Amino acid sequence: MKRSAVDAVIRGLKRAGVSIVCYLPDSLFKELYPALDADPDLRTIRVTNEGEGAAICGGVFLSGKRAVLIMENSGLRAAVEPLARMGLGAGIPVVMLMSYRGEFGENNWWAIPHGITMEPILDALRIPFQVIREEERIERALTEAFSWSYAAYYHAAVALGGEIVR
Amino acid sequence: MKRFACMQLLASRLQHELVILSLGGSVDEWYNAAPHMRAASLFQQQLGCVTPQAFGLACGLPHRRVVALDTDGGMMFNLGILATLGNERPKNLFIVVWDNECYLSIGGPPTHTASGRVDLAAIARGCGVEQAFTARTLEEFAAHCTAGLAAQSPYLVIAKVEASVEPNIKRKHSDGREDKYLFVRHVEATEGIVIMGPSEHN
Repeated sequence: MKRSAVDAVIRGLKRAGVSIVCYLPDSLFKELYPALDADPDLRTIRVTNEGEGAAICGGVFLSGKRAVLIMENSGLRAAVEPLARMGLGAGIPVVMLMSYRGEFGENNWWAIPHGITMEPILDALRIPFQVIREEERIERALTEAFSWSYAAYYHAAVALGGEIVR
Repeated sequence: MKRFACMQLLASRLQHELVILSLGGSVDEWYNAAPHMRAASLFQQQLGCVTPQAFGLACGLPHRRVVALDTDGGMMFNLGILATLGNERPKNLFIVVWDNECYLSIGGPPTHTASGRVDLAAIARGCGVEQAFTARTLEEFAAHCTAGLAAQSPYLVIAKVEASVEPNIKRKHSDGREDKYLFVRHVEATEGIVIMGPSEHN
């Protein structure tokens, strides 16, 4: 990621009121994680799997603070169980920012499942999402995801793909 | 040691704390053992999420004591949270794990703690949660409640309890959504904050 894209993500998160970031690091966002760690206005929490991260974000929601879960899109598969239970069972929302591994242009065989499964899983959970491939749209997509999520009390997702992450 | 007796003992020490608890027989037991904590307790339904949610809540409200009432099955579903807690070191999180060595709510097939070889407190200590203990008597459990509710680093007690549910207790009728609203409104009222506020237009 370019520094300008990293900055756009952090600006969007702050405009959305985020103060806590849960993440499991990945390669496409590798420049993002140290920038989040270094930001004095954000508390970062490294988790052992994305389901744990989703549950922590759900707990943060209950405190009145705002959290985001940042991960590779493969993490969505690990997070399905808590997302389904919290979202559909209790109306506890989690906003997710994920890197779009496995979209057209992918040249790693192991990443193909991530591209094939991401959108159908989001659809199966009825989670609205935007795929963003232009840097100038990042900030607005993040604030819109939070607006929707805090009106619906349900999860929302933003996936960053294309030239933003390659 | 009976879980219900442990709950009554713990409940008598709670006033301003917030509680997140697991699914299963412990739901109705806590509902009966801690009626004064009804709105301050979030009854959740998912294995592996109770302690992570309680940790998230504790992060958001660092001045407030949070109690997680987890289970052996729930904790083993996501042992990774112990490593996260070992490094994050919240000062306001007390975790009780009701360990009845079985999945009681589905009829009682054993969990891995039933073998006697799996030691959840030792796993927690190995993850850096130094204050992690096993209680086998009410006296031990009471002492850990006193310490855990005052601890300045994550505190975990594995409560070895019988595989039984207290008979003839009231059933909780609410679902996950009603429980969430009750809990959120309680947090809002006691913290003086807005979590689920009004729409832009009515």
